[in-house]
Amino acid sequence: MASPATQNDSDDDDVFAEAFKRHKYKNAFNEENWEEEFDKIPMFMKTVPDEIDPNEYPELAHIQAIIHDEDRTPAEKAQSLKDEGNAFFKEKNYQKAIVAYTAALKNKCGDQDLDTVLLTNRAAAHFHLGNLRSSLNDATTAKKITPGHLKALIRGAQCCMELRNFATAIQWCEEGLKAHPTDKKLRDLRTAADKHKRSAERDARKAKVKEKKLNNEKEAIMAAIKERGIKLLQSVKPCQSDSDAEDDDKESLTAIAELSLDGLSSHKATGAQVFLDEQHNLHWPVLFLYPEHQQSDFISAFCENNSFLDHFAVMFGEELPPWDVDRKYHLQNLQLFFEDEEREALYKVDPETSLLKVLQHKRFFVKVGTPSFIILVNGSSFWKQFLTGKKIRAL
Amino acid sequence: MLSDSEATELLSFLTPATRPDVKGHTTSYILGLSGNRDGCRFLRTKPDFIAALFALTSDPSIAIAKDCYHILINLSADETLHQVLVTDVGMVPSLLKNLKDPQYPFSDQICTILSNLTRHEKTCKTLFKVLQEEVGLAQLVDMLCTEAFNPHAKLHYLAPLLSNLTQLPEARRFLMDKDRGVVQRLLPFTQFQASAVRRGGVIGVLRNCCFDYANHEWLLSDQVDILPFLLLPLAGPEELSEEDNEGLPVDLQYLPEDKKREEDPDIRKMLLETLMLLTATKDGRRTMKDKNVYVIMREFHRWEKDPRVTTACEKLVEVLIGDEPEQGMENLLEVNIPDDVQEKLKEADVREQRELEAEEERTRKQ
Repeated sequence: MASPATQNDSDDDDVFAEAFKRHKYKNAFNEENWEEEFDKIPMFMKTVPDEIDPNEYPELAHIQAIIHDEDRTPAEKAQSLKDEGNAFFKEKNYQKAIVAYTAALKNKCGDQDLDTVLLTNRAAAHFHLGNLRSSLNDATTAKKITPGHLKALIRGAQCCMELRNFATAIQWCEEGLKAHPTDKKLRDLRTAADKHKRSAERDARKAKVKEKKLNNEKEAIMAAIKERGIKLLQSVKPCQSDSDAEDDDKESLTAIAELSLDGLSSHKATGAQVFLDEQHNLHWPVLFLYPEHQQSDFISAFCENNSFLDHFAVMFGEELPPWDVDRKYHLQNLQLFFEDEEREALYKVDPETSLLKVLQHKRFFVKVGTPSFIILVNGSSFWKQFLTGKKIRAL
Repeated sequence: MLSDSEATELLSFLTPATRPDVKGHTTSYILGLSGNRDGCRFLRTKPDFIAALFALTSDPSIAIAKDCYHILINLSADETLHQVLVTDVGMVPSLLKNLKDPQYPFSDQICTILSNLTRHEKTCKTLFKVLQEEVGLAQLVDMLCTEAFNPHAKLHYLAPLLSNLTQLPEARRFLMDKDRGVVQRLLPFTQFQASAVRRGGVIGVLRNCCFDYANHEWLLSDQVDILPFLLLPLAGPEELSEEDNEGLPVDLQYLPEDKKREEDPDIRKMLLETLMLLTATKDGRRTMKDKNVYVIMREFHRWEKDPRVTTACEKLVEVLIGDEPEQGMENLLEVNIPDDVQEKLKEADVREQRELEAEEERTRKQ
C-alpha cells in the first residue's frame, strides 16, 4: 500500500481483519491437520513416501512419471536414477541408493564412465551398510571398466582392510599408486594395511612360539611320567588290537606313548593339570572320595614327594569337614584306598606314603589325569559294608 | 695389438651383411680382446669399432648379439672408456629404449652396462640426465619392483644401477619424495633371497639415502619404517626372552628357529653402516635405543666371524649403549673435529686397518 495509513484506512483494516475471522478462504488448510497436508505437497516434503499412490499424492506421481517416462533415452534415465541414488545416499538411505544405482546400471546405456561412477557409488553404499563383499565386487567391476579409477581403488582397498585381508589391500593400494603416485589417501591406506599385516604376522609367530613352548612342556611332563613308570589310562576307546598277554605291556606302553594332552585333560573338568616344577617334581591334581557321604575333596597340586598325611593334617587337622555329621573323620581314624577296577580290588595305602610311591604301584592307573583315592573311617558301619565282598590288598 | 690394416679388415667384418661365421669369429676375437685392460684401451682408440659392435647387438643371431653385449659390458667396466661409450658412440638412449621393452631379450646385459657406466660420478651425472628423459626413475623403480616385468631377464642389476644413481642428490631426492612413497617399495628387497646383486644394490640405495640426515626422522617413522628392514637380515633364530621380544619392532618379534642371517659379509657390513648413519641425530639414536636395537646387535656380535663386520658392529653398539654426546655434538655427522684430533683419528684408522689385515692373513693361513 503506497499511501500511509490514515484513521480511515485503519477502520478499513479492521473490517478486513474481521472478514478474515468470519470467512474461511477456499482450499484452506485445516487447523488440525495442516502439518499432514504440508507433507503431501512435494515442495514441502521432508521425506519421500515409500509408495506413491497417485490418489494420495497426485503431484508426486506426476513428477515421477516425468522422470521415468519411457520416451527418455537410457542415458537420461540412468543419469536421473543416479541422481536419485545420490540423493538417497546423502540422506544415508543406503538401501534405496543401491536400488536406484542398480536400476541405472540395468539400463546398460553403454556409457562406461557413468557405469563406473554408478558401480563406485553403489560400492560406497554397500560399504556403509557393511556389505563388504558386495562392495568389493562393485569396486572390482568398476576398476575393470575404468582401470585407475581412484575412488574405486580406494574403496576396494578399504573393503580388503575391513575384511582383514591386508595383503590384498596392499595390492589394491599399489595398483592405485601406480596411476596416482601422489594420492595421500592411498598412501595412508597402504601404510595402515602394511602395519596390520606385519602385526598379524607377528601374532602368528608369537602363537607358534607359545605353542611350541607348551608342547615342549607337555613332552617334558610325559617324559617325567614315563620315567617314573606311572601308568595313564586312556579315557575312552578300548584298544582294537587282539589282547594277548604279550601285548598287554605293549598296550600300556602305547597308552603312555600315544597319550597326548587328551589323556591328561583333567583341566577341562577341574581346571587343573599335572605339571613339572623347576626342581623336576611332578604336581598332580588329586581327588579324594568319601563314598559314605557322597562327598569329595580336590587337591589341585599335590607334590609327588609329599605324603598323604601332609595333606590330611591340613584337611582334617583343625576342623572336620561340615558333611562329617558324625564327627568321626579324625586323622587317626582314616583309612586310605585306591581302586583297581580291572581286578576289582582295593589297595590299602599307608597315609605316610608319598604320592609318587603310590602312583608307581603296578596296579595304579591314573584316570583322566587325576589320581583318585577313597577315604573311609576305620571300623565304621559304612566301612564294614563298603569293604564286604571286596578284595583288599596291601601296597 | 692389431696393426692398422688388420684393424681395418676386422672392422669391415663387423657389418650386418657379413657372412655369419666370419662375423661370429670376429666378435669372438674382439670379446677376447675386451677381456683385458690393454685390449680395452686399444678399442678405446677405435670408436668406429665400438659403434659397429653396438649396431650388431641387433643382429639376428643371438650368439653374435650376446657377444657384442658382453664386449660392451667389459668395455663399460673400464672407466676410461666411458667417454667413448656415452658421448662418442651415444648408445645410452637406445639402450634405455630397449630396456623399457618388457620383451627385450638382453635387458640383463643392458642393466649391467648401465650399472658399470654409473659407478663413477662424472658419467653417472651424464647418464642420469639421459635417463630422466628416456625412462625416468619412477619407471626404473617400477621395473625393479614388478615381479617378472621381463620374462627373458631377471633385472637384478637394476638395483646396483639405482644404488649408483643415488650418489647424486637429485636421484636421492626423487627416491625420498615424501609424497610419492618410492623408497618404501624397495624395502622388502633387503631380504630378497634369490639374488645377492639385487639385495646389495637395494641396501646400497638405502645407505646412500641415509647420508641425508634431514630425512632420518621420516625414514624412521611409520611412514617408511626403514629400521626393521635393515635389522631383519642381521637378526637370527636365537630365542629371546619375552621382555626382549616385546621391546623390538613388530617384524623382529618371535622370529622362527629357521631364521637365517644375511650370508654375504659385504652386505652385512653395508647394513651396519646404514644403521650407523641413522644414529647421527639425537632422535635417531633415541629411536634405535627405544626399539631395542642393541638386543639384535648383541646376538649378531656373538654370531659374526668376519673381523671387518664385527668392527662395524662394535662401533654401532658403542653408540647404542654409550652416553649421549655433550651439547653441540648431538649430530655426529656435523661435528667439527679439531685438526690434531683428526690426525690422531687418521692414525688410529690406519692402525686398525693394519690390524684387520693381519687378522685376515692369520685366518687365511689357517
